Amino acid sequence: MGSRASTLLREEEIEEIKKETGFSHSQITRLYSRFTSLDKGENGTLSREDFQRIPELAINPLGDRIINAFFPEGEDQVNFRGFMRTLAHFRPIEDNEKNKDPTASEPLNSRSNKLLFAFRLYDLDRDDKISRDELLQVLRMMVGVNISDEQLGSIADRTIQEADQNGDNSISFNEFIKVLEKVDVEQKMSIRFLH
Amino acid sequence: RAKEKERKKERDRKRRRNVARRASSARKEGKELEDRPGREERRGRKKRDKEGKGKGGEDERQEEVKNDTVAKTLKNFSNENTRKLEQKEIEVVGEEDGDTEEKRKNGRSEKGGKREDNGRGETVEKKQKKKRVETSAEHESSEEEEDEEEKVGEEKPEVLSPEELEKLKEEVDERKKLISTLRGKPWPMRKKLLTLRESHEFVEKYEGALGKGKSRKLYAYKVMMLKKWMKFQRDFENFKTACVPWEMKIKEIESHFGSSVASYFIFLRWMYGINMILFGLTFGLVMVPEALMGRPYGSMPRKTVPRADEANAMDFAVLWDFGGYAQYSVLFYGYYNSQRAIGWLKFRMPLSYFLVGVGTVAYSYMVVIRTMARNANEDGGGDNNSFNFSWKMFTSWDYLIGNPETADNKFASITTSFKEAILEEQESRKDDNIHLTRFLRVLANFLVLCCLAGSGYLIYFVVRRSQKFALEGLESHSWWERNEVNMVMSLLGMFCPMLFDVISALENYHPRIALQWQLGRIFALFLGNLYTFIIALMDEINLKREEEEVLKLNMTIWEASLYNGTLGVNSTAPPITVHPADIPRGPCWETMVGQEFVRLIVSDTMTTYITLLIGDFLRAVLVRFLNYCWCWDLEAGFPSYSEFDVSGNVLGLIFNQGMIWMGAFYAPCLPALNVLRLHVSMYLQCWAVMCCNVPQERVFKASGSNNFYMAMLLVILFLSTLPAIYTIVTIPPSFDCGPFSGKSRMFDVIQETLESDFPAWFGKVFSYASNPGLVLPFLLLMVLAIYYLQSTSKSYKQANLELKKKLQTQNEENKKKTKMAALKAAMDLEEAQKAWSEAPRQQRNNNASQQSYTGEKNTVTGHLVSSFVFVWYLKI
Repeated sequence: MGSRASTLLREEEIEEIKKETGFSHSQITRLYSRFTSLDKGENGTLSREDFQRIPELAINPLGDRIINAFFPEGEDQVNFRGFMRTLAHFRPIEDNEKNKDPTASEPLNSRSNKLLFAFRLYDLDRDDKISRDELLQVLRMMVGVNISDEQLGSIADRTIQEADQNGDNSISFNEFIKVLEKVDVEQKMSIRFLH
Repeated sequence: RAKEKERKKERDRKRRRNVARRASSARKEGKELEDRPGREERRGRKKRDKEGKGKGGEDERQEEVKNDTVAKTLKNFSNENTRKLEQKEIEVVGEEDGDTEEKRKNGRSEKGGKREDNGRGETVEKKQKKKRVETSAEHESSEEEEDEEEKVGEEKPEVLSPEELEKLKEEVDERKKLISTLRGKPWPMRKKLLTLRESHEFVEKYEGALGKGKSRKLYAYKVMMLKKWMKFQRDFENFKTACVPWEMKIKEIESHFGSSVASYFIFLRWMYGINMILFGLTFGLVMVPEALMGRPYGSMPRKTVPRADEANAMDFAVLWDFGGYAQYSVLFYGYYNSQRAIGWLKFRMPLSYFLVGVGTVAYSYMVVIRTMARNANEDGGGDNNSFNFSWKMFTSWDYLIGNPETADNKFASITTSFKEAILEEQESRKDDNIHLTRFLRVLANFLVLCCLAGSGYLIYFVVRRSQKFALEGLESHSWWERNEVNMVMSLLGMFCPMLFDVISALENYHPRIALQWQLGRIFALFLGNLYTFIIALMDEINLKREEEEVLKLNMTIWEASLYNGTLGVNSTAPPITVHPADIPRGPCWETMVGQEFVRLIVSDTMTTYITLLIGDFLRAVLVRFLNYCWCWDLEAGFPSYSEFDVSGNVLGLIFNQGMIWMGAFYAPCLPALNVLRLHVSMYLQCWAVMCCNVPQERVFKASGSNNFYMAMLLVILFLSTLPAIYTIVTIPPSFDCGPFSGKSRMFDVIQETLESDFPAWFGKVFSYASNPGLVLPFLLLMVLAIYYLQSTSKSYKQANLELKKKLQTQNEENKKKTKMAALKAAMDLEEAQKAWSEAPRQQRNNNASQQSYTGEKNTVTGHLVSSFVFVWYLKI
């Protein structure tokens, strides 16, 4: 697998991906071999079915939404670059990245980008607000039929009541950031990619 | 033709894409400006215009080259026909910036303009002001700057990848620069020195990586070792979590049954740990030395089964009752010899026995109190955040779960935690008639007190009666009269908790508090049990001691007769050896006490297991399978499945532990037995809970480290050490069995050691130190210190609580304020809309309304401005 990856992925491309996502050379080749192993159609792109084969995503209540996040709108294939771009959100923040000057362009794995990624999972209609209905959908996915609709509604109401600051009965991205202020997002939304 | 069309489309897209790229590259430069609205926007746009123009042509060319490379790679990926390839090219282009697609959808009006002014990219900018993650474009624009630094890492060392090397090189250069310019920096001297030293160290450390030959190899080696070390640490952490016993089982139970049930199992595990240590102490310092180095079985009367019992000493029934060979073994007090030092190690057996007895109790006190203190700290310091539900909502799923079973558990646990949270909410909101609840609570407590008093009197009455019967001789009474005490006790233990449960329904407490009340009440009831047991035991001890006195007298007569019989025949012969089994011996009340405790523990364990199997398992099986052929729904209706009884199980555990503490001095095998019992019940109960219980209807949140359990444990510990200490201090040990035989009191062993094993001055110092004139002031001082510490901690706690409250109210106030402001703004907006929609007709009113608004706050005027704009749009 590894030999195949190294032959198919050219140096310039790796360089580009490196620039864009911040992954290291070896990480990219490793992830490429993973990519090709996921690619059952062997056409250089991944489809939704390919992602569904990953057990972690298959059993995740929000799995479909995460898979959707890999695909640009309206497409049902994703190539290696798109794949890497989405994965870059989960790259851990390294120490020497923290104290870089803030004027440089924000890397994909910054805290706010990580949070935005999570926010998008809940914001289905992309109006930059999580509404009550969207919360209810998520809740139903997470608890199934074990809790009555009425109770779910009260949970959603409570959640909005907690997080909402400007009284529009929905959670905006800023409010979302505020809610997760004390959560260690940098650490929790990171995957340990092997070097 | 179709091909042609597609080509065209593709070209179109490419062009648009280039525009987007350029725009974003320009945007990047003016990024911080763009974030600020209004005034600065104009300035930013000017700047961007300039840059956009300057870079325009160059960028375009570069972008085209890039596109080609993408296409080429695709060729490499798959060798398919050109038709397909083109399709893919389109795909790639589309994916590279999903924005273009979107733009085409929402921005039809701007489309034409975009095509025309390719070079400037100004119109696109407006569009992009909308918040959107512009991943690819932003990063590619910064490529040019980084390109120059690229060339550094041409020669790769074995381990470092080129980009790591790059970074390092950059950093080292930075540090070097810092060192050279440090002199001119306006920092205090201390900081300068510190940075200088740090920088030097850094340069020294990492320059090796960039150099050649040995230093680089060394560095590579170092980096490799560091990576290995980190991996090892990670593995070690994983290993550590895997080593926590029963963690997975408890987690699984917690996810299905909630934290209250899990708190019992955590308590059980904690207890298991304690007992392991107690077991280690008694086993390692008492049982093993005696078995290895003490005199062997059969060498002395106390180590031999008496002749009368020899025939059936190996019978199972006798052994099960801890008689026969079990009684004359290291398991019980009586087996131990009073020889001061045993074996080649000169092991001080009696001293060790005494110290271990004291040590187990002292250790238990220490552990319980320390755990309580730690729990109290956790309770006080816990931050109950204001985003309880939101956190549950957004952060509860563990995205690394890949195993369907674990996923099921996680689903269950999320559901449970939501249920718990709902319950907490309901409880905190509940405020019905306060007088009625108060009245009901007083009534309930009164009823419970009556119950307790009644059962207390019943126990007292029965015990007195049984003592009378015992004096008269048991044989003349019926079966009921002989077993009256036991029967009454178990009946009370069975029905009173149910009664309390019914009564507690009156009180309408939060289930967590209700559980505590229930626990407290049953605890009081069980104390009665304990009391009867101790009284019965004391009676028995007194009886045995009387017996002993009689026997001592008989003994001398027996010895005398023995010697008289033999002396007459042959006076020079050595004293005749009588087999130790034939020598008469005392009743040895200590062994009797130990046996009682062991029997109690065993029977208690059996009862627990059997009730578990019958009450839970059999019931579950019956309900499950009889349900097919029954006239009503058994599962949902009357018998149903049982719930896990947290209060009963916790109390069982606590009282069991009390028995261990009481009896461990007289039966060193008790901790071992208890470890066995806890181990088995851990597995058995885990299985029973998962297989035949249903979760409680009202799942409530309980902390895993419950201080209430600990407090009860402490009370029991105190109550159980009292009788043990009483017997040790006041009752003289038996004359012919146990490590303290021949002494007038058990604690004399300390004095003896002091006299013979320590130098004379030590004994003197000790005797001075134990002088009441010295001890009393010391005690007083300690009490004062405790009082002082306690009061200070109380005040700290209060301050903490107040601060927390302050913070919370402040938070809420802020939230309210912003909410109010937003609401007000919205209302104003509406009014303004109304006013302005009527504007064409009523011009005069206009002025007045405007005047009234100008007096408002800044925020409101801001919203007014927006409302004007809004109305203006409407008009158009």
